[in-house]
Amino acid sequence: MAYQIYTASLLKEGLVTYLCLGTDGAFWSTDINKATRMDEQHLHILKAEAEYAAQANIVVGPYPITVTSNDQGLIPVEGREKIRAFGPTITLPSDPVRPASDLHAA
Amino acid sequence: MGKFIKDRKVQQDNWMPYTGLEDLATIPSGDIYIPFEEWHQNRDQLLQRNSRLGVILENTDDVAALIPDLERLDLIVLQFPKMADGRAFTQARLLRDRYGYKGEIRATGDVLHDQVFFMQRCGFNAFELRDDQDSATVLLAFDEITVIYQPATDEELPIWRR
Amino acid sequence: MYQYSQADHQLLQERVAQFRGQVQRRLRGELSEDEFKQQRLRNGLYLQLHAYMLRVAVPYGLLSSNQMRTLAHIARKYDRGYGHFSTRQNIQYNWPKLEDVPQILDDLAAVEMHAIQTSGNCIRNTTSDPLAGVARDEVADPRPYCELIRQWSTFHPEFNFLPRKFKIAVSGAIHDRAAVAVHDIGLRLVKDASDELEFEVYVGGGLGRTPMIGKLIRASLHPHDMLTYLEAILRVYNRLGRRDNLYKARIKILVHETGEEKFRDLVEAEWQEIKASSLRLANEDIARIQSHFKDPDYELLSDFDHDFDSHLLTNPDFANWASKNVELHKKDGYRIVYLSLKSRNQPTGDVTADQMDAIADLADRYSLGAIRSTHRQNLVLSDVKLADLHHLWLELVKLDLATPNYNHLTDIISCPGMDYCALATARSIPIAQALTERFDSYDYINDLGDLSLNISGCINACGHHHVANIGILGVNKRGVEVYQLTLGGSAREDASIGKIIGPAFTSDEIVKAVADILKVYLDKREGPEEAFLAAYRRLGQAPFKEKLYG
Repeated sequence: MAYQIYTASLLKEGLVTYLCLGTDGAFWSTDINKATRMDEQHLHILKAEAEYAAQANIVVGPYPITVTSNDQGLIPVEGREKIRAFGPTITLPSDPVRPASDLHAA
Repeated sequence: MGKFIKDRKVQQDNWMPYTGLEDLATIPSGDIYIPFEEWHQNRDQLLQRNSRLGVILENTDDVAALIPDLERLDLIVLQFPKMADGRAFTQARLLRDRYGYKGEIRATGDVLHDQVFFMQRCGFNAFELRDDQDSATVLLAFDEITVIYQPATDEELPIWRR
Repeated sequence: MYQYSQADHQLLQERVAQFRGQVQRRLRGELSEDEFKQQRLRNGLYLQLHAYMLRVAVPYGLLSSNQMRTLAHIARKYDRGYGHFSTRQNIQYNWPKLEDVPQILDDLAAVEMHAIQTSGNCIRNTTSDPLAGVARDEVADPRPYCELIRQWSTFHPEFNFLPRKFKIAVSGAIHDRAAVAVHDIGLRLVKDASDELEFEVYVGGGLGRTPMIGKLIRASLHPHDMLTYLEAILRVYNRLGRRDNLYKARIKILVHETGEEKFRDLVEAEWQEIKASSLRLANEDIARIQSHFKDPDYELLSDFDHDFDSHLLTNPDFANWASKNVELHKKDGYRIVYLSLKSRNQPTGDVTADQMDAIADLADRYSLGAIRSTHRQNLVLSDVKLADLHHLWLELVKLDLATPNYNHLTDIISCPGMDYCALATARSIPIAQALTERFDSYDYINDLGDLSLNISGCINACGHHHVANIGILGVNKRGVEVYQLTLGGSAREDASIGKIIGPAFTSDEIVKAVADILKVYLDKREGPEEAFLAAYRRLGQAPFKEKLYG
C-alpha cells in the first residue's frame, strides 16, 4: 500500500526535513524514518500541520511525497526524493566515507 | 501609520482615482487621476476642470504620449502589478530624466520595503505602500544603501567621475 | 587586479547590513518566503535540493591568493569543506545555513568579495577570458571593461527587475575563450581597419530550452560608447521583454520575435537619446580603470630553460602534462598553467578547502599571487616562469590538480545535476565520473586531441551541453534517467549549437555510445590534424547515427 509523508526544507538550516507526529505534538526531523505516514484519507492531518509550520517560519515549501517501506525503513518512490532523503549519490570531495548509494539501490 | 509616503514623509493622500464608473460631469471637485486611455478620450473636457489633474498608466503604456501634457499634470501614477515586474522603473526614469517631468511620480501595486530605494533612484517620490508594509521601517529603507555607482535621476555622474 | 576604493568597501558593508536585516525580517515572519526569495537570490542564495546554495561572485574570473584563502576558510567554517567552480567563473557553496550567510558575507567583504546579483532577474556576473592580460592572441585586455560593466550594473535601479536573468561576457582576443556567442550580450574587442580598438556587440545568445547564437547587432562600437549602448539594450529589454511566460522571457526571444533588424533599430533609437550622457566614457575613465590591470614587473627572460627541456625528455608524465595543461605566454620565459579540476577523484569543478589553501600558496610562490577561474570549471595560474614549471607540476600532482586533460576528452563540464539541483531531471556527475573512469588512457585521450564534452542534468543547460563537440543532456522518461546525445557544438569564435543525434540512452548505455562516436571519428578523420569538430562538420551526422543506431 502506498503511503505519503510530508517533506520540506528547514528555513534556518535549509536541510531536508520530514514531518513527524509525536506524542507531544508535531515536529520535524531530518531522518526520514521518523516521518509519520498517512494514507490518502488521512493526509489532510499532515497537510494542516505542514502548512502551520510554514506559516510559523519553521519550514519552507512543504509538500507530500509517496513512500514505500522495507526493513531498512521508509523509501521515497521518486528518484529525486530518494536523493533528498539519502544525500548526493556521489562521494563528496571531503567525505572520507562512501556515499549512501546502497540506499539508492533499494 | 498611514501607508502613503511622499517626499520621505508619511502624508495624507488627497488625490482621488477616477474609476471609470462615474460620468465625467458628476465627478466631485478635487484632485483626480484618470486612467491613461480615458485621459486621451476626455482630455479637453478634463483640462477645463478647476483642480489638479493626474494620470495612471499601465506599465505597458508609452510615457512619451504624455509629453504634451506634462506641464499640466501634477501627478503620474505608475504600477508594479507584481514586484518582479520592473517596467515602471523605466517609465519613471524616462519621465524624470528624458522628459523633465517635475510633478509627483507615484508608485502603486507591490510597493515594498526592499524596492523603494530603487524606485526613488528612478524618479519616484511618492509611494502607496502595500497594506502589509510598515511605513516606519520603509522610511528607513531609503537610506540603507548610500553608495551609488551609476547615474540615475538622483545622481548625474557615475562614481568614476566623482 | 582592481583595488577597492573606500566607496566600494562601504557598499559591501551596507549591502551585508541590509541583507542581515532581510534575514531577520524573514525569520520573524515579517517578510514572506516569496518576497524574501527575491532578495536572497539577488544575494546569490538559492534553496536547493539538500540545503541552501550560496553563489559567490568572482568578477571576470579573477582572484587573489588572499581571496582564495578566504574561500577556503568559508568552506571549512560554514560548509562541508569544499566549493564548486561554476560555468560562469563563480564559486558555489552547497551547504551554508541561512543564519550564517550574513557572517559569510562579512568575511567575503573583508577581502573585497560578495555575492551580489549572482542570481535573480538582474544583471549577473560579467565573465571574461581566463587568459586576459597574458594571452598571445590578445587584442586588448577585456578586464577593465568588465570592471566598468560591473560597477555600472551593480544595484542599477532601473534594471533590477528584468523579465529574466541577464548575462554579459567580454572577450579581448582573437580566439574566444569566454563563449561570448551564447550570452545575452557578448562583446568582442577587435581592431578596425585603422588599427583602432572597437567592440563587436552580439545580442541574444543563450542556451537553455531554446539555444541561440547571438546576433551581431552592432559591428563597430567605440569603447567610449560601451556603457551607453549597454544601457540602451537593457532599457529596450526591460520595456519589451516578455513577462507572460518564464520560458520566453530572455532577450534572445525578444530579438528572435522582434527580428534582428527591428531590434537593432529600437536599440539605436534609444541609444541616440543617451549616447552623450554622463555614461559616455572618456579616455581618462578607461585609463584609470586600466591602471588597476597594468602588467606586473615581468623579468626579462629567455624562452629557453635547460632544466625544463631535460625534464620533458626524461619524464613522460611531465611531458604529457606540459603538452596539454601549459600554454604559451605573451612574455618569453613565462607560461600559463591550467589547474585541472577534472580528476577522477572528485566531481568536476569541485575543490576542497585544503586544495584552495594550497593553490593560494602556489599562486604566491609561482604566479604573482593571482588565480583565474574558467567557464570550463578549471583554474589558471597565469604567470609561471618556464624554469618553475617542473617544481609546480610536482606540487600539483600531490594535490591532484595535474590531470593532463585540458581541452581534451575528460576535461568535462558537468552541471551539479540532480545530486544537488532542485531543477534537474537527471544526475550528471555520475555520468562524468563514469566517462572519466572508462577513458583513462592518455594515449587514447591524446590521440583524440582537442575535444569538448559537456553534460547538463536538465534542459536549462547549465552544463553548456549545446556548445560542446559532444553534448549530453539528462532527461527523465517515466521516472528513469536517460541521456540524449548532441554533436557538433562549439563555444568558441566558430560557435554552433549541437544537434541531437537520435533517441536517448540509459545510464548503462551512454558510456558505450560515447565510445562508439569516438570510434567513428578515429576511423573516418582525415588524419590526426583533423579535430573532432572539423571531422563532424565535414562528415555530418550520418556515420555517427549509423554506428549508434544501426
